[in-house]
Order: sequence, then C-alpha cells, then structure tokens
Amino acid sequence: MTKPTLALRSVSKMFGMTAALTGMSLELFPGEVHAIVGENGAGKSTMIKIMTGIYQPTSGHVEIDGAEVSLHGSKAARLHGVAAIYQEPMVFPDLDVAENIFISASRGLWLDRKATRRQAAELMAHIGMKLDVDRVASGLTLAEQQAVEIARALSQNVRVLIMDEPTASLSAHEAAELRRVARRLADQGVAVLYISHRLEEVFELADRVSVIRDGEHISTNLIADTTPQQMIAEMVGREVGNYFTKMASTTTDEVLLSVRDLAVKGVFEGISFDLRRGEILAMAGLIGARRTDVGLALFGITPATEGEVRFKGRPLKPRSAQDAIRAGIAYVSEDRRKLGLAMELPVLWNMTLATLATFLRGPGLVDTGAERRMAEDFRKRLNIRTPDVDIAVGKLSGGNQQKVMLAKWLNMNPELLIIDEPTRGIDIGAKAEVHDLIRGFAARGGAVLIISSDLPEVLALGDRILVMREGRQMAIVNHDAADQQRIMALAMGQEKAA
Amino acid sequence: MKKGILTFSPQVLRILALVVVTALIVLFFASQIENYLNGRLFNRISSSVAVMALIATGQTLIILTRNIDLSVGSIVGFTAFATGSVIANNPDLSPVLLVGYAAILGGTFGVVNGLLVAYARIPSIIVTLATMALFRSALVEYSNAKSVTSQNLPAWLVDFPNQVVFSLGEFQFRAGFMAAILVVLTAHIALTRLRPARQFYAVGSNPEAATMAGIDSRRVILIAFILSGVMAGLAGFMFVARFGNITVVAGLGFELKSIAAAVVGGVSINGGSGTVIGALLGTVLVDLIDNSLVRWPVVSEFWREAVLGAMILIAVAADTIFIRRLAKMRAARAHEAAIAAEGAKT
Repeated sequence: MTKPTLALRSVSKMFGMTAALTGMSLELFPGEVHAIVGENGAGKSTMIKIMTGIYQPTSGHVEIDGAEVSLHGSKAARLHGVAAIYQEPMVFPDLDVAENIFISASRGLWLDRKATRRQAAELMAHIGMKLDVDRVASGLTLAEQQAVEIARALSQNVRVLIMDEPTASLSAHEAAELRRVARRLADQGVAVLYISHRLEEVFELADRVSVIRDGEHISTNLIADTTPQQMIAEMVGREVGNYFTKMASTTTDEVLLSVRDLAVKGVFEGISFDLRRGEILAMAGLIGARRTDVGLALFGITPATEGEVRFKGRPLKPRSAQDAIRAGIAYVSEDRRKLGLAMELPVLWNMTLATLATFLRGPGLVDTGAERRMAEDFRKRLNIRTPDVDIAVGKLSGGNQQKVMLAKWLNMNPELLIIDEPTRGIDIGAKAEVHDLIRGFAARGGAVLIISSDLPEVLALGDRILVMREGRQMAIVNHDAADQQRIMALAMGQEKAA
Repeated sequence: MKKGILTFSPQVLRILALVVVTALIVLFFASQIENYLNGRLFNRISSSVAVMALIATGQTLIILTRNIDLSVGSIVGFTAFATGSVIANNPDLSPVLLVGYAAILGGTFGVVNGLLVAYARIPSIIVTLATMALFRSALVEYSNAKSVTSQNLPAWLVDFPNQVVFSLGEFQFRAGFMAAILVVLTAHIALTRLRPARQFYAVGSNPEAATMAGIDSRRVILIAFILSGVMAGLAGFMFVARFGNITVVAGLGFELKSIAAAVVGGVSINGGSGTVIGALLGTVLVDLIDNSLVRWPVVSEFWREAVLGAMILIAVAADTIFIRRLAKMRAARAHEAAIAAEGAKT
C-alpha cells in the first residue's frame, strides 16, 4: 500500500473557545483528485491553512510521506511541496506574468530574464492558456490571474496541490480547462485536494470525496459509491429546498427597461432586449463574453457609446453610477472584495454606503437611529448571520457578505437590480436563500438582470436567458426552450443565433 | 505608432517621458533666461544631485515596500556632522574608512526605523516622524552647539566633490556627481537583476500574496530601511564634502525633497512599482526647476514652492492617466489578438 503524500491525523484547531476543526483525519494519496465538500464555515479554510503552514494545529499532527512534520509558515509547506491556489487569486498587481510565476523561486542570485520568460511561456502552454508573459498582472482577468497562480505552483514542483474553489469565478469553458489541468497533474502523481461548491464538477473530476461539516470529518467515499443527494444531505444535515427548480415567473406586461443596439466601442455591440417588471433576465456566456461590461454600461460606470436605453418610458443616458442610482438602478458587483464591500468597515456602514444621503436629517447630520433600524430590519429579513451589525463585514462568511451586499442595494428601493454572479463562492444553503431574495424582489414588481456563469443558476432563475459571446448578443431564449446544452452551444458559438 | 508605444514596458516609457519633459523644460528656460544654458547650470545641478540622488534612491526602496522614511533628512544631518567631526579629530583617517563610517552610522539609524516598523508593527509614517525629531535632537546633543567648518577638514575631502573626472565642452563631470551616479546605477542593476530584490516589489505590491509566496515581509522591510539609512549616510558624507560647514540644521527638509523626487520619477506611493533611475531623473527634474526658477524674474521667490508643488501634482496626475490609458490599450490589443487567434483556428 502506498503511503499518503499528506495526511492529517486527528487534527484539532481552537480559536479561543471556538473549535474550528475537531479530530480531523484525512489522507491524500499521490495521483488522486480528492474533493472536499462542505458548507461555508465547515472548516475547509482552516484545514487548508494548517496544510499550508499558516496555522499550527492545537492538537494532532500533519504527516508527509508517512513522517510527522511541523509546517511553520508557508515557506516550510512549500519546501515539502505543498502549494495552494485560491478563488481570489494571490497575484502581485505591479509585476508581470513571468515575474509573478517565479516570485518565490530561489535558485541563483541573478535573474535570467530570457530564461524566466521562456519557462513562463512553457508553463502557460502546459496549462493551455494563451497569455502574454509580459503583461502586468493588474490588467488580467480573474481567470488569467488564476492561471498565473497555477503556473506558479507548477514551477515549484508541487506534490500536493490544494485548489480552493478554483472554478468559482470561471466560466464553464474555462472551468473545464482547469479540471483538465487538475486531472493531468494527478496523472503525473500529484495529490490534488479539490474544494468546490459545484457538485457536478466534483462528480466529473474527483476520485474520492470527503464531506466535512462543523469542523468534523463526516465521510470519505469513492466517487462511484456516493450520490449528489447523499452528499448534500451529509453536508447540510438537512434537506435543501428547490435550489435547482425554476419557480413560476412573475413577469408583468409593463416594460421597465428597453435597450436597443447598445454598444461600448471596442467592447461589446448590438445588445437589445426589453425587461418587464417582475421579470428575471439572466445573461449567460463564457468569461470574456463581456456580460459584466453591459451591466457596467447600464449602471453608468463605462457609459455606452452607441444605442438607446429607455427606462420607465424615458430615455436614460447614465454617465456615472450616481446617475443610475438616482434613476433607480442598483448594481451588485461580482467582486465582493474589490468593488463590493469595504471589508474593514462594520456591516452597518456597508449597508448604507450608497444610500447614506437618505438618512440625513436637519442640518445634514446622519440619523444614526434610523440607519441602525434599517440595518437591523435587513439583518432579519435577509437572515444575515452576524452577532451584531457593528462587526467588520470581512469577518462574515462569503454567503453572509453577499447578503450584506444585497442589503446595501435593496435599501435604496431600486426598480432595476443588476446582479453580477449573485452566488459565487457561497454554500448551497446560502445560495437558496439568495435566490429566494432575488425572486421576492421580482415578485414585488422589480426587474432583475442577472449575470451568472453558473448554468444551473441561470436556468433556475432566468425567465428568459440572454446568451452573449465575445461582445455580441447570440440569442434570447425563453426558459421553457432552454437547457444547459443549448446555452453552452450558443455561448461557444456552435449554434447560430435563433 | 500605437503598436510601437506598446512594445516598451511602462517603466521604460516613464523614463523616456521624464527625459523628454526635462529637455522641454531646459528649452523653455533657455528661451526665457539669457545665458541660461551653460556649464555653470550643469555644475550647480550636478553637485546638488550628487547628494539628493543618493537619498532618493534609499527613499525609493522604502516606498517600493509601501512604506515611507521621513527621518532621512535627520540621518543625513547627523552623519554629515559625525563624519566631519571624526575626520577633523583624526585627519589621517583613510577615506575608505571614513565612507564606511558614514554608511554604517546611517545604516544603524535604519536598523532602528526598520525594527520599529517591521517587528513592532508601527506604521512607518509614525515611526519615522518620531525618529526624524529624535535623530535631529541627537544631533543637537552630539554637536554641543558647535559646528564643523571646512577649515577643520582635510583638503582631500573638501576637494573631492569638485575634482573634474572628464569634461564635455563646458560641462564638467565632477567626482562627487560621478560617484553618486555610480551608486545609483549599481542600485538599479541590483534592483532589476538580483533575484532577492524582486521581493521589495512583491511586498509593496500585495503584502498578503507575498506572505503566501513564502516571502518574509518583515525582513524585507527591515532591509529596505537599513539600505535607506546607508544611502542617507553616504549622502551625509557627500554633504560634508560638498559644503564643509555643518550645523545642526544640515539636511533639514531633505525627506520631503526625496519623496518628491521619487514620486515625480514615477515611483508609486502605494508601493510595488518604480525604478531608481526614475527617481534619479525625478531628482534632476526637481532640482532643475528649483534652480531655474531662481533665475526667472517672472516668478517671485515666494511662488517657487508653489510651482514645485504644482509640478508634483501634474507629474503624478499625468502619470496616472498615462498608465491607465496604456493598460486599456494593452487589454484591447490582447483581446484583438485572442479573437484573431480564434478566427485563425476555425
């Protein structure tokens, strides 16, 4: 029997009185893709941090090749061949691709620019990404930044590669590419630990799967010996509602937003659709389809250069977010960390970031009482799990952060809600709750434009589905005529526009 | 044309832009001031750059790591005075030892700053604001209300900065200036070619990712402060050699001038990007304008600081707009290339 490359032996981790991990045992064998599933807050990130040497276990120990090791710091972990890549890529925005890949290389005192560039290009080719290695990382998309991170791990001769929700922000096509890379690494003898909220990809990719819940190991099974239903039941310890089921449409006859031939020169063109009150329109497409850019144009961040937008029957030409907000449009960004929330600020302040002006009383002072009442109200209505609204929003789990983002925009009472990747990187329970909130908003007469790379989500929410490809509108598909294959085919240009 | 611009890296473009702006300013003042463009102008600026370029180089290292060093002026003052005193009391001391003394003394001040910033985790602006005052007071105490005067100094020291290494027509390249340029070039090569030097950029660009990549951020920041101290110490040596007379106010205000030079030279105040060559050109530009405005009757003495301040704002604003445009153009080009590649496949 081969020894596990890396093993956790009854590892526990306490933070003060709180247990993040309790008696966790796990074995990673060379050549296997081992998936970990569990709700947010189940202890996955604590486990990763112990494997990568950032945390030290309170009790229990880590073994590498059967020998007990103590991993003090990420450098020690790397020397043992343990590397991790994350959903939010860890790149250096001011350095170029090649420099990013080889930042932790330690061989040689002098840099060999030529060799570095050549090796970086080779690694990129190995991953199957076309990426100019001279580009500065700040200009890369999330998917490209992730590729850089994988290349960095590859350059360090990884033996254990931990992938923490790597596909959460990728389009279907790129996610498939990434899974192919993960499989290839495993075939070369790397132990891959793969953490994902997307069950379909767990079943497609993994050899074995472990479920963890509340810091404890629940089960480890060969993928053939388990089913999605069993896994979900183990993860949540309860039945999950109709997450994948489409609910009845609440569309009315009143057109709220009418878009004709909208374009931003050099970015996208020819976008035309009507959005009615009570309707949810989902935009599907691969990364690079420029869906987010359409949302940003409607929200006035990058004003459209051509085309016509009518909102509530009147022409609308937002030149800034302020214009759009005044008109009654809210935009929930896909990038919580960068564009969505001020992580160090309290939940309360984040909620009123865009609407503070509505809380002004008398001589321009903020009515902190009203502000707090609103925040408490939303905390209850959106079921935001936080001890109080004064806690820094960065301390909450991803799902609860997403709800705070929604609260931030819902409290301005928008008529049109644009949501970019509404449930990226949040667990299934929170996903269902966010979907209910979106449906509820539409049912009360609002119109929703959703941008999502998660096809089941697109199908579960969209009354109609607008598919984009490389800056062009391919088709608008009614929900009853849509399925995953059809939308993928349109998004990949394999089916002509209907 | 567009494609041509894109083939250069932003850093190279910045340096080219600085050279062009410097040339334009020289031409402008040459048309305004009679007998402007002569050897005296060059000599004046080059001797002043000899001191400031060293400080700006150290400051650049600090800013790259997303920190700031407000104490460099006081370090320059202290080391200038201490170096002057030591050589005045031991006139036979070898020049190499004297330079080494200045560098080590400056480095020691850097250790104090670095330990407080990196290991005690106090923000650098607070640490160096405090040590700026502390080091200056130490100088007042140490000097005991006396001054170093050029009569007490050996001839070799006072003559050193002004020895002509070579001349191009009217322009004399003097030893002080050449030595400073040599140090800056060495720093530039080290910073761009040495593998560990890349860590300065990494720490300033994304501290969290640096930690994840196994970089010891605290050690990197400590080293940056030590090197900045060493550079300020060398600048102190140059200062005493150039002026001869050192009082307790020596080097006052140099910290802000060095920050201005670095920022005008394209070093990002948020860390992670910039070059020491840029900072050198920034030093030249700031000094050029300072020197030229003195001789330009249109601007009164009182407005010189304002013009300098406005220039810093313009430089940084222009740089920001320019870099943003460039990033857009690059992204557009990458997008086009991707579409072209896709088209070629099908």
